[in-house]
Formats: sequence, structure tokens, C-alpha cells
Amino acid sequence: MNFVRGIQAALFSCAALGALTAVASAEDAANWGSFPGYTLKVKLVGGTQYEKLYTRIPEWEKATGAKVEIVSSKNHFELDREIKQDIASGTITWCVGSNHTSFAPQYGDLYVDLKTLIPQATLDEFVPGTLAASMVDGRLVQLPRVTDVSNLYYLKDLYENADNKAKYKEKFGTELAPPTTYDELKQQVIFFASPPNLYGTAFAGKDEGMTGRFMEIVRANGGDMFDENWNPIFNSQAGIDALQWFIDIYNAKAVPAGTVNYTWDDIGQAFAAGTLAVDLDWPGFAAFYNDPAKSKVAGKVGFALSPLGTAGKRGGWSGSHSFSVTEACDNKEAAASLVNFLTDYDSAMMEARAGNLPTRTKAFTDVVEEFKKSDTPYMAEMFAVWGQSLADARTPPLVPQWIEVSNVIWPELQAAIVGQKTAKEALDTAAKKATQIMEDAGVLQ
Amino acid sequence: MRFFRSRLSPPILLLMPAFVIIALVVAVPLLFSLYTSFTGYRLVKPDSLWQWVGLRNYQRLLSDVDFWWAFGRTLVFLTVALNLELVLGLCIALLIDKLTAGQRVIRTIMMFPMMFSPILVGFQFKYIFNDNVGLVNNAIQSLGWSDVTIPWLVNPVTANLAILMAEVWMSTPIFAILLLAGLMAMPRDPIEAAKVDGCNPWQVFRHITLPYLMPFVYIAMAIRSLDVARAYDMVKIMTNGGPAGRTELLWTLIARTGYQDARMGMANAMSYASILLSVYFTVYFFRKLAAARRTMGGVA
Repeated sequence: MNFVRGIQAALFSCAALGALTAVASAEDAANWGSFPGYTLKVKLVGGTQYEKLYTRIPEWEKATGAKVEIVSSKNHFELDREIKQDIASGTITWCVGSNHTSFAPQYGDLYVDLKTLIPQATLDEFVPGTLAASMVDGRLVQLPRVTDVSNLYYLKDLYENADNKAKYKEKFGTELAPPTTYDELKQQVIFFASPPNLYGTAFAGKDEGMTGRFMEIVRANGGDMFDENWNPIFNSQAGIDALQWFIDIYNAKAVPAGTVNYTWDDIGQAFAAGTLAVDLDWPGFAAFYNDPAKSKVAGKVGFALSPLGTAGKRGGWSGSHSFSVTEACDNKEAAASLVNFLTDYDSAMMEARAGNLPTRTKAFTDVVEEFKKSDTPYMAEMFAVWGQSLADARTPPLVPQWIEVSNVIWPELQAAIVGQKTAKEALDTAAKKATQIMEDAGVLQ
Repeated sequence: MRFFRSRLSPPILLLMPAFVIIALVVAVPLLFSLYTSFTGYRLVKPDSLWQWVGLRNYQRLLSDVDFWWAFGRTLVFLTVALNLELVLGLCIALLIDKLTAGQRVIRTIMMFPMMFSPILVGFQFKYIFNDNVGLVNNAIQSLGWSDVTIPWLVNPVTANLAILMAEVWMSTPIFAILLLAGLMAMPRDPIEAAKVDGCNPWQVFRHITLPYLMPFVYIAMAIRSLDVARAYDMVKIMTNGGPAGRTELLWTLIARTGYQDARMGMANAMSYASILLSVYFTVYFFRKLAAARRTMGGVA
């Protein structure tokens, strides 16, 4: 623990803050409970960006006397598959599992309501909207560790280039500045595109990434995915306009043609290679984009809030990575203690320093101060922009059928984008399939 | 003990453990999955295992255009991939068989692609064919051949070709190894005799080497026709069946339905419909194998 603290102190040259954190930690250590000799089995999401937090686990083991056994560590999609198999075979022999707000509704009563295990005073320290989005049917089935919402990254030199400014003003009659609406974003990505060396932007074109980006614009246009009775309504005019936005920039060659196969990593690599002018993306990419060893655009990246739709709103597609405790766990107190520990202030600060949006309100403000003091204004600016967008953050519909519905939507969106169908035809087909899913599930009578 | 002595003969008793094990590990899971294909079984709702829906899953499949497209595409993919792998594998095996030095090293190097996990192969080829930062497009543009960015993984023809190329790259060595084993086991006398009789190299290959290799070819084909489903991971990474279902194969569709959508009842119905494909290929290749063995004078 002292070693970890030592590194933090050295990294941020902030002795006073380090001392304060150590005091807070010492207080917490007394509160994690005592479970000597108990082995807590956990299934955690793997991957470099997630596993740094697990270096804190020995600290919890030392404080409680318990041992943590990581019985599975996989990416989220594989973990989801494994958890579903565990449910099917009735072999829930583990206590803590990584979760996500998009996945959580599928698991039914697999996880406990953490409101019964975590003190209200602790829950009050979380960002209220993030905590609310972690509830399913009024039950707090997960404690969020980091949250995600997208905003714009843009190449500052393109926007500051005098020639670009003049041409843009001449063409559109307005000053060239980071876009504030989706119409403006479309106009600018088409303006900047000069393939194959530079594209305006790229979007996640498959899986839930495609559905999510579409949903974001549908909501920004005043529409939604379902009505209050769970009838699919994404084939409304707001939906058609949203899909047309993707079709327009695709047809204008403002995005790489392969974007319909891209996922987050592909987009991140393309922006870091300097081949995209603008990127609507997650906060986790900020540090990567500014790392000269990995990114050609280091030092040139600016931030702007995600655009407004035709209804004057932001879509704010949001989700949180989280931890849950199983109902079948034989020591829920120990499990809740670990989940609490992995989402506490120190954990939140550790996540935030890596560029992730923390879920504790205090960590949000403290990390900005820390970045300012450590002469990292880039990251401080990122947190300031992303912090503003949290107010508009909204999860996908929290129903067990969401992933299944998403899986019928994104292939239809692709079909319209690559010109196989019109926007209306594609959305009507997807809505028909989604209706059948909701009817089969008994949600829609 | 008295029961066994009186009713069952020793051969049956001795074979009993094998029958029981096969029943447990093969027959029971097969029957269970067949049963679930008539239910609305969802992985995340164990109770739905008892929700009998009769033929509903199969009726929906019959009218599901996407499923039949995936079925047809899988059939074409299997046919083209197997034939390409056979031709290339045969060429490689013949070349290696001619080597007089360094054959072991070459054989080992040739097996490298088989050692890669299909997921890794998927990532490699996805990067190679990426339209923006990929190797192929960058090479074409750097060499000044074209300024056009080719969307390899978007166009329906090139996307399927890219997946086919990844599959062929990964699996051709299996054919090569099996056929090389056949070549190495082949008696040299008939070849020497044919050469003495004045046959040219093509005639020797066509009338002696190839007929001798055919049993090996059909065994390799039968194994690979079942094994080619390993390409699932690769397709999942490269395109996940998209865009717009253009590269959707039965495996990506079934895995998405069964695991992501958790509709295991429907996924099993799809699997049983697609088993027809596997049964057809297996029966076809085993018939060919029997015929080839008859031609070679063996017992069918």
C-alpha cells in the first residue's frame, strides 16, 4: 500500500495530497470488515485498461484477511457469454462479477440489490445520475467503477489553419469552429474529407456500437428507441433523419468506406494516425491520443461537447463498467466489501488518473485539480468537457431484450448505409423484428 | 452379478462401458439440444427450458431469408475453401516431397499458420485489409498503383474473398501435411516402372500419384469440412457477418443468436438445420473415399 502511495506521490509531486489520501485510506481499511481465511471467487473483466485497478486487491486482502481468487478474466463479451452459461447450468459458484449497464438487465435476479449491503452514506458519494443508471427495476444490481459518455475530439491545427478558415467561411458564410450540432458536424466532416489521406470522421459501424451511435442521434433529434409501452419507435422521422445522417456522410466519402466494420479500436487507431479530422468518442482515448509514442496527433487534439440534434438536445449515450454481487454468494458481506473497495475514492482516483470518468463525485473534481497541479492541462480540459456532458448522459433502454434488439437493428442500419435499402425500409424491417422480440418476451402484448 | 451372467454375453458386457460413455458424451447432449430446439429456451432463463413451442422455431427458420442466405453462403464458402486448400496443399506437398535437403525445417515452418489462434488470424487479416490504415491499401497507394481506397471488407465480393484468404492461409498446411504423409508412404516402384515405360511427369502424376493420394485427399476433405467451422472466430473478428449480412455464415449467425441474444432454442434449431450440411459433406467424402480405396484395390 505504501509502495502504491509512494508511486502516486512521486508521479504527481504532491506530498500534501498523498498524505491526505493515506489518512483516508487508513480510515477505510478499518471498515472493510474481517473475513480471515475466506476465499472470495470473482469473475472480472480483463484487458490492460481494466486490470490496473486489480493491483489494489492485495490491499483489500491484507485489510480483511480474505483471499481473492480470480476464477475468470476475459473481455466483456466473452465474460457475458460465460455468465449466461453459468446461469443456464446453475453453477453460480462465484461471488463478484464485472458487469456493465448495457448487460445488467439480461441477468434477471442473478445479482443482489446492493442497497441492502452498502451503506446509504457511501452510495451518496457516487455521481447521482451514474448510480441511477445502475439500477434495474428499482434494484441496485451493480456499483459503477467508471462511466462512459462521448464527446468530440478534433485536430486543432485543421481548425486553426488560415486557408481552411477562409474556404469554410466562403463556402458556408460562418466561422470555422468545432461543431455544436449534428448538421454542422456533417457539414464539417464533408468539408475536411480528402481521402485517402484525411477523412472527416469515422463511426463504429457494427455491433452495439452502431446501434448506440444511432440511438444517440435519434434521442438528440427528439425521438427514442421505445415508447412507454415498449413498442419500438426508432423508425419515426427522428430515426429516419438520424440514419440519413450516417448515409449522407458515407455517400459523401467523409468517412472511410470500411467504417461499417469498425469498432472502437479501429477508430482510435485512425484518429491517432492523423487520418480523421473529428472523432466522437469515449474519454478513455484522451490519454492515448496525447501520447507521442503512440499517436501522431499528440499535442494537437482539442475537445468539444457532443453535438446537439434537431431537437436541441444531446443524445448522451452512456454506460458504466461496474461490479455486482451474486445472490448465490455464501458471503455477501465480504463480496460487497470488495465491490465497495474497488469503487471507493482511491479506486476512483486511480481510474481517473488513467483518463477514465470516475463515478465518485469528489474524485471528479479532485482529479481535475491534480491534473492542473501536475502540469497536465490537456487531461484537466478533457475532464472539464466530459464533466459537463454527464448531465445529458442516458443509458440504452434498461430491458433484458436490449442486446437482442440491438442485434436486429445494426445489420439493418448497415444495409441502409451501404445503399442496399432506404433508411425507412431498413428501420421498418428492424422495428418489425424488434416488435417480435418484445412480443416473444411477453413485454409487449 | 447374477443378472449380468444370465442375460448379457461377455462381448456385450465388455463393450458396455464404451456404449455408456458414448451415450453420455455424445447421444445425451445431442438429444438434449434437439429437444431444446422445440422450446423457447433462453440461456438466462433456465425455466424456459420447459416452454414447449413445437415447430415454431423451425417454421420461423423456413421463412427467415437471412438464415437461408447464410446457409447458402456457408455452402459456397465451404466448397471454395476446401477446393482451394486442396489444390494449394497438394502443390506444397508435391514441392516439399521433391526436396532432398532441409525438408524437416520447411515442414515445421509450413505448420506455423496452424499454430496461430483463429482470433489472432482474424485480427491480422482485419488489419491487412483495413481500408484506411491497412497494409494492402497502403502498399497499393505507396507503390503508386492507385489513389483509390479499396474497401476490402465492405464490398460483398472482396469481403468474402478476404475471409476466404484468411481461412486458406490458416488451414492449407493441414492439407499439405496430410498429403505429404501420403506421398511419403507411397511405394516408389510403380513410379519407377512408369518412367521406364516412357511416361512423362504429368502422366505419372495423373495416373499413379494422384489415384494413390485420393484416399488421403478424401480423408483430409472429410476432416476439414467439419473443422472449417473454426473460421467462426476469424469471421467474428474481421466482419462479424457484416456489413449488412454480406459475410454472414451459419456460425456467426448461430453464435449471435445463442449467446448474445441468449435464444438457445432457436440457435439449436438453426444448428440442426445446418447439420444437414455437415452430414451431406461427410457422407459425400466417405463415399468418395470408399470408391478411391476400391480403385486402389483395397477393401471398401
